[in-house]
Amino acid sequence: MTIRLETTLLVIALAAAASPASAQWPSYPTANVPRNADGTLNRNAPAPKTADGKPDLSGLWEIYLSSIAPPPAPGQASPSRSLQDQADGSGNQLGIEPGGPPRDPNAPPRATFFDIGANIEGGAPFQDWARKLRAQRMADNQKDNPDAHCLPMGFMQLHGHPQPRKIVQTPDLIVIMYEGNQGLRQIFTDGRPLPVVDENLQPWWYGYSVGHWEGDTLVVESVGFREDGWLDVYGSPLTEKGKLIERWRRPDYGHLEIDITVDDPKAYTKPFTVRVSQQLTVDQELIEFICNENEKSSQHYDP
Amino acid sequence: MKRAAILTVASAGALLFTASASAHHSFAAEFDRALPVTVTGTVTKVEWMNPHARFYIDSKDDQGKIVNWDFELASPNGLMRRGWNRNSMKIGDTVTVTGHRAKNNPLVGNASSVVLADGKKLFAGSSIENEPAAAPSQSPPSQ
Repeated sequence: MTIRLETTLLVIALAAAASPASAQWPSYPTANVPRNADGTLNRNAPAPKTADGKPDLSGLWEIYLSSIAPPPAPGQASPSRSLQDQADGSGNQLGIEPGGPPRDPNAPPRATFFDIGANIEGGAPFQDWARKLRAQRMADNQKDNPDAHCLPMGFMQLHGHPQPRKIVQTPDLIVIMYEGNQGLRQIFTDGRPLPVVDENLQPWWYGYSVGHWEGDTLVVESVGFREDGWLDVYGSPLTEKGKLIERWRRPDYGHLEIDITVDDPKAYTKPFTVRVSQQLTVDQELIEFICNENEKSSQHYDP
Repeated sequence: MKRAAILTVASAGALLFTASASAHHSFAAEFDRALPVTVTGTVTKVEWMNPHARFYIDSKDDQGKIVNWDFELASPNGLMRRGWNRNSMKIGDTVTVTGHRAKNNPLVGNASSVVLADGKKLFAGSSIENEPAAAPSQSPPSQ
């Protein structure tokens, strides 16, 4: 999941080899993006700005292949890469390229889709009960991950999800549409306060989010989560006591950095911060994904 | 070649991942890595639907009786990005499927390889590639 040129070529090659790809909506060229001489996206162009001078986070974003999994054991090549490189192009069903985000020595530990604490020394700082719950969720082969039942997986899993997400930014509201399980999130930037978290507040799968700008960084605070959240595929818990603080940056045209602080004293002994990096993807669109249209897998869950 | 690579990686004890075309559920929640299957038969139905594309094939069992297998693929969006579409597999196609059996149903499987009679491969890739071959120990810290 790195450079657009290779992905584009891969997709074109696979489309040509596999089947006659008619003019599908998802492959319509994206207008008004900076391109290199060969037509590929110029990721290093300056980040766009909105009319009110804020960085514009709008666009279709995807993760990096390396951020799906925990890192390979020391001394071993990335198995993702080895499969990606298979001659028939198999192994990577998305056409997302191998590789990782730009190096940043100041980055917090990177979260992975499977394990939010994959790169935290000693792992995420679980409370004892939370560690046990996560261990049980793993022992059960994650059969109770909400996503396995076509239920919302929460935005932390969606931050790392292999399927793309589209950000639409307006002055007062940012909407994120996730292809993964049709997730939908609203971030209000109109100055409203967070709701008071008490027994009257209806817990939401995605919580309640408000954002404000600190220079070129969008700071988003979210509260009001359900008590049974999954921050990652392995089931690191998030509870109703949790608050997530995200710091979003678009340092250039093609890159997005999201630093997420998890402050949930019920599930963790201390707050911790991780980074998710994403890259802009063009010339494709979200593809409809209605999980419940033919869900038959759960009949066979038998951990 | 891909299967060989997977087995090599798995037997080396390495973690085994690739991009998940459908993160809908864990491979191991439904399928058993210890129950590999190879089935040849005729396609009777294709369901190009979420959260997993599925296809059904008639095949002879050990006693020569015709049985109908239900094979799970990735999700249509992931397969579509790889160039496949709802007409890539047709009813009546003869296919050889390798994959893994469901834990609780002998005629349900996950397809990791689908090969047509003329040798052409369909839908390469499967959700078995999405996750570790075994539950990982705590990952080493690194950037």
